[in-house]
Amino acid sequence: MRADTVNIALPKGRLGDKVYAVLEKAGYGCPELPGGGRRLVFETPDGAARYFFVKPSDVAIYVERGAADMGVAGKDILLEYTPDVYELLDFGVGRCKMCVCGKPGRKDDPSSTLRVATKFTKITRDYYAGLGRDIDIIHLNGSIELAPLLGLSDVIVDIVETGATLRENGLAPLAEVCDISARLIANKAAYKFKYNAVAELTNRLQAVLEGRS
Amino acid sequence: MEKKAWNNGPFGDIEGALRELFESRGYVRYRMSKFEEYDLYAKNRSFITGEAILTFTDTDGRLMALKPDVTLSVIRNTVPGTSLKKVYYSESVYRAKDASSGFSEIPQAGLECIGELNLYSVCEVISMAAQALEEMSRVYVLDLSHMALLSGVLEDMDVPAGCREELLRLAEEKNAHELRALAQRNGLSPEDIRLLEKLIRLRAPLRDGVRQLSALPLGNNAAGALTELARLARVLGAREGIFLDLSLRADPRYYNGVVMRGYLPGVPTAVLSGGRYDGLMRRLHRESGAMGFAVYLNLLQRLPSGGTRPDADVLVIDAGADPLELADYTRELRGGGLRVRVDRAVPEGFTFGRLVTFDREGGHES
Repeated sequence: MRADTVNIALPKGRLGDKVYAVLEKAGYGCPELPGGGRRLVFETPDGAARYFFVKPSDVAIYVERGAADMGVAGKDILLEYTPDVYELLDFGVGRCKMCVCGKPGRKDDPSSTLRVATKFTKITRDYYAGLGRDIDIIHLNGSIELAPLLGLSDVIVDIVETGATLRENGLAPLAEVCDISARLIANKAAYKFKYNAVAELTNRLQAVLEGRS
Repeated sequence: MEKKAWNNGPFGDIEGALRELFESRGYVRYRMSKFEEYDLYAKNRSFITGEAILTFTDTDGRLMALKPDVTLSVIRNTVPGTSLKKVYYSESVYRAKDASSGFSEIPQAGLECIGELNLYSVCEVISMAAQALEEMSRVYVLDLSHMALLSGVLEDMDVPAGCREELLRLAEEKNAHELRALAQRNGLSPEDIRLLEKLIRLRAPLRDGVRQLSALPLGNNAAGALTELARLARVLGAREGIFLDLSLRADPRYYNGVVMRGYLPGVPTAVLSGGRYDGLMRRLHRESGAMGFAVYLNLLQRLPSGGTRPDADVLVIDAGADPLELADYTRELRGGGLRVRVDRAVPEGFTFGRLVTFDREGGHES
């Protein structure tokens, strides 16, 4: 094992596949991937990078705590958990928007507290604090779209990719909160002690993303 | 990683080594009580890392706190004088990282230098921070930055105040892509944006870093900070391990001048943090300057355990030995500087260097 091997936490699933394709183009391919059976750890033949596949929402934790030197996490996770890491690149994959959604044409009544259902309580709190709006946050773990349909909340704050799920449930985006995409992050200590390897990987990825390589 | 051999209790030898280091420069120990009036922290809450403070009502009705911080207490108890006040401490503080995590006892050691600081005293504190890291690992990184450099550059660029804060936050993340987008939205010129990107990506040994900065069109408001960094680089020399990294930032309400963070291999977060905090002094109605740093000893548990030694050097199994002979034998071993444990059997999980069985015939090495 090389001393400067960069340990990279990748999100399992479709996003991880897209990100790996960029890494492969940048010269960090691993012949055992894709496929790979049940293995969770893969290393490039030259030992420059080692990949771990973890739950997407856990990537930032692996990186912040130093179990991985770098990782690729959604901006939604970074905004929600604010890990103490460097954010080095926007991968530009997994693009979507964090939106306030509700019944189409819904008019906000500022005289009453707005009930907002969401998985992303910090992002929601920050967004409405910026607007100076008093809200009642209802934290849900899934099927957020149900909340306004059953009268549990007035609106929801959630990730909107195509809007198909919203439409099917009679809902629509009412306002955009922020743009979301996959970001390359690095542990602060690893960035310092493996600086050359981290900088080279970042530069090569940037070249691929800008179409220079 | 090469590491000096130390392991007396969780932080025993490293605390001793830091104490020696601090005392070698004439710093005197500051001992503090565990409690302080809550008022002191309530007024300066954002200076303290973490949010929650443990409070209780004292017998006389005063609201007290288990100390979440040492610096504030040191300043409060500082009497202004003509000489510098140089103190060090090795104490536990009590706080919770955030509202969702429980309270922790955090052992930390550090120093404060209070008074009319000059170039020598600032360099001495930085040099001691580097030495403190070196006591823990021969490989270390001490990042330095200057609070007035990046903010001075932004002032010259005439960036709106609200946007300036957001740009500084993005600089702290080395987040060049979002910084570029925000700067473009706020009408910054392509040249200014390129300069900002260069600054947040800059990472180099202190001397090289200062040389690189000198070649950039930083503007008038950052000139003072650059001059100060150049002076520091000249006095500190080409010391390995000290880097310039402008993404490093601290709260501008308290910190001004040089700020620093120290890192060790194998520990994912900064183990040392400090800087010049004249701003905090002013908030506490003190006229002089001040600089210091703290080492978070609890994080040293994450260091690779290269220096770990067994629980005892010799484990002696008492297999029906004559007590007097056994006592003489162990006294002899201890006299030779060995740590000796006598037991009837090998204790579960106990580690030892040598195993000796002692019976009526004497000791037999296994």
